[in-house]
Formats: sequence, structure tokens, C-alpha cells
Amino acid sequence: MSTPAATAQRPRSTTPSIIERTERVAATVAEHARRTDEEAVFPVEALTAMRESGLLGLVVPVEYGGLGGTLADLLDVAIRLGRADMSAAMILTMHCQQAAAIVKYAHEPLRRGLLRRIAAGEVYLASVTTEAGKGGHLLSAEAGLVADEGSLVIDRFAPIVTGGAHADGFLMTMRSPNAASPSEVSLIYADRDQVNVTASGEWQPLGMRASHSGALTLKGQVPEGNVVGEHGAFARIAQDVFAPYAHLGWAACWLGTACGGLSRVVDLIRSPAERKRFDTGSELLLSRLARSRQRIDTVHALLRHTERTIAPLSDLSAPRHQLQLNALKITASEQCYAAVNDLVEALGLRHGYLKDSPSMLEKALRDLRSASMNYSNDRLLLADGRLVLLDKGVTLA
Amino acid sequence: MDSRLPQLLTPFLKYLGGQSITEDSPLPALGLDSMQSIELLFAIEDTFGITLADEYLNDATFATAGTLWSAIATTMAAEGGGVTAL
Repeated sequence: MSTPAATAQRPRSTTPSIIERTERVAATVAEHARRTDEEAVFPVEALTAMRESGLLGLVVPVEYGGLGGTLADLLDVAIRLGRADMSAAMILTMHCQQAAAIVKYAHEPLRRGLLRRIAAGEVYLASVTTEAGKGGHLLSAEAGLVADEGSLVIDRFAPIVTGGAHADGFLMTMRSPNAASPSEVSLIYADRDQVNVTASGEWQPLGMRASHSGALTLKGQVPEGNVVGEHGAFARIAQDVFAPYAHLGWAACWLGTACGGLSRVVDLIRSPAERKRFDTGSELLLSRLARSRQRIDTVHALLRHTERTIAPLSDLSAPRHQLQLNALKITASEQCYAAVNDLVEALGLRHGYLKDSPSMLEKALRDLRSASMNYSNDRLLLADGRLVLLDKGVTLA
Repeated sequence: MDSRLPQLLTPFLKYLGGQSITEDSPLPALGLDSMQSIELLFAIEDTFGITLADEYLNDATFATAGTLWSAIATTMAAEGGGVTAL
């Protein structure tokens, strides 16, 4: 943050700030949120706004034309977009997670060229990590890369790829060539024109409907230089970049969704047209509003604290850091859902449960129901139980 | 590296496929996964009669048989057990 003196001396910039860019995108997101939810279609207008605003290049360094945003900036953006629509917020967050992996691990010349195109809004990245039959194990891969005279042959099916039909590039996990085990996993980049992309199946979920996370088959060939990191490096990339960006970024999207719900509820209760319908002296209403807000503040505190803890670290493998990141993910997924559920109870059928209420709680609740399953809390709890036993001193991060 | 370590590690490395374990053997690539971390820790502590300190329990320690052995050897020396067969 600038001091008043510093602000006064600096020439007035015509470049919009990250916040200004985000506000513009959020307006477009809000305008289309109801329709993209109803029709379960990808928010094409929101993606266009993200391209034109520069937000696709949020975490790309300034030297490549990006906004040079930090992880903390990404959290601000995710919370703001989450207030308007959780699907759109998750789409940008996951793209930024992929872009951050390119920033940190891609080799030249792939890195420079791709980062410039991302910053220019030309490349929206989709993440291809799911695979049939591996039960959500991020760190293993069945489909193998085949090395063929300096290039790599890709043949990969993924049951869930958010925004896959609209992506300009794909970062995918595949078993390394000649791997001795399914845990030797490489991260590979493919431009859309380097692979044949076939979408299959229908996308008709309960919530997150605009994320359009259908099944994809990718077949093609890419140069050896499209390996991000080196062969077998995915476990490290996952720990350094994917896991923190996912858990912090998702938690911010969920928090934004809950904030948006509460904000619309307060608007409604205070609106001249509706205020007579609510008894603001009702202890039950007041307590439920208070609980909802308490959950939101708890998640926010944990989110910011976790970001500050991990931002300066180069190695996140210590149990206390893994536990903190997982605690954030589990807590945010449970508490943001519960915060909106409190509001549904507080407002009752008309404004809590009906689709056409301006509160949009019905949509927020459906969207947030996905949170506990977006990398399963059950799986994280099992990992956490083991990590607890590895930290005898109960060292707090 | 004490010969008890490869012996102890073998059941945790499902992709070892008959290779012999050297100091450079990459444990995660050979099948060691974090879900087995407690069982492995108990096996190490029982075999060598030591308690590994919390600060060793990270990926760097479990990267290769050699890095793991270095943590064990350092702990044995510190706990007064003495390292016999290097």
C-alpha cells in the first residue's frame, strides 16, 4: 500500500489497477451468471472480459506484459469474482494456477512465448489432471507419454476438464516416457492446434454449472521442450505451485461466494421494498446472520494467515505447512457452505430457497456444495491424520 | 549405508522390481508414497532404535535412500547409538 506522500508524488497513471480491471470483469460475470447457470454453459462473455482486461495475465511477470500479480492479488481477485459467480471465479483461479506453473517451471523458449501470449489474453489454459480409474490421485498417471524422435506423443482421456472446450492450451499430467511406476508423472503443455480435442458426454451438474467441466480426449504430438519442469517433476510442481494455488485460490472463490450471498441478503433486508417483510428484532434472524458472518470472518482470517505463511517458503513439504494448507481447504469448503446455509434458514422459503430471489442463495448453495468434493475432503483428512502423527511437537505454522 | 536400510525399504518400494537399492535410489519414483509414511517411520525407529526429529520429516529426507540414511546416521550419532557399518 502506498503512503499518502508517495501517492501524491507519483504521476497519475492511466494504466488501470488490478482492482479496476477486476471490477470491470465482475460486472460482466454478474450480468451473465444466471443464464450460464441455467443453461450450464461456459461463461464466454466473462472469458472475453478476462482476456481484454489483462486478468488472464494476472500472475504473469510484467516483463512479459503481464500484471505481475502476487498470490495475495489473486486471492483479492478470486474473492471479488466469487461474489458475482463461483464458476467464473474458479475458471480464472485455475487458469492462474496453470500460468504460475509455467512462470516457475517451463523452460525457454516455451516459457517466454507462452507467457507473452497469456498476458496478451490469447491463451486461456485448462488443467488436465483427472483420469478415469485413479480415484482422484493427483500424483499418479495411467496414460503414458511416448517419446518419438524428439517429440512426445499424447493420447489422453480426462473425465473432468474445466473449460476444456474453450481452452487455447492445455497443461496435462501424463506418465513419463519409460516410467518405472505410475508416480513418475510429467507435466506437458499442448497448444490447442497441437492436439485433436474431442469433447464427450453431457455436463448437467447440481452446481458450478458454468464451469462446463466435461470430458475430453486429447491426441497429438508436441516437442520435447513442452515438458514443464523435467520428466517426472510433477510431484514437486504439485507441491510448490498446484496445491497452494488450488487450496488458497479455491478457498478465496468460496469465500467470495459466501460474501456475495450475505451482501445480497443484507441489501434485501434493508431495501425499502422488502424491509417490512423482515423482523429485524427477531433473535433467530439476528443470530443466524451473526453465525454466517462469523464463518466468513473465520475463513478470511485463515486464508490470509495461510497466504502469509507460505508466500516466502520454497519448501512446503513440512507437515505443519501441509496441515495448514489442508486445514484451509477443509475449513473453507465446510464453513462457506454453512454460511450460505445459515442464510437460507434465516430468510426462509421465499428468499432462501427460490431460484428467482435476488439473494441468489439457491445458486450459491448449489455451487458451494461442490467445495468438499473438489479434491475430496475425505482424502485430505486421511493425509492429515498421517501428517499429525509426523508432527509430535504440534508446531504451529 | 547400513545394510538394514535397503532391507527395511524393500517392502515399501512396489516398483523396485528386483533392482538393488543404492544411495541414489529415488524413493518416491520407486513407489514410496506419503500414505505409508507412518509405517516407514515406525520401521526405521524400531530397526535403528532412534527417534527421528520432526525437522527431518520432509520430502528432502525421503528423496533417496542416501538422504534418508544421512538423517538416520546423524540421529544415531546424536543419540549416542554410534554408527558401525557405513
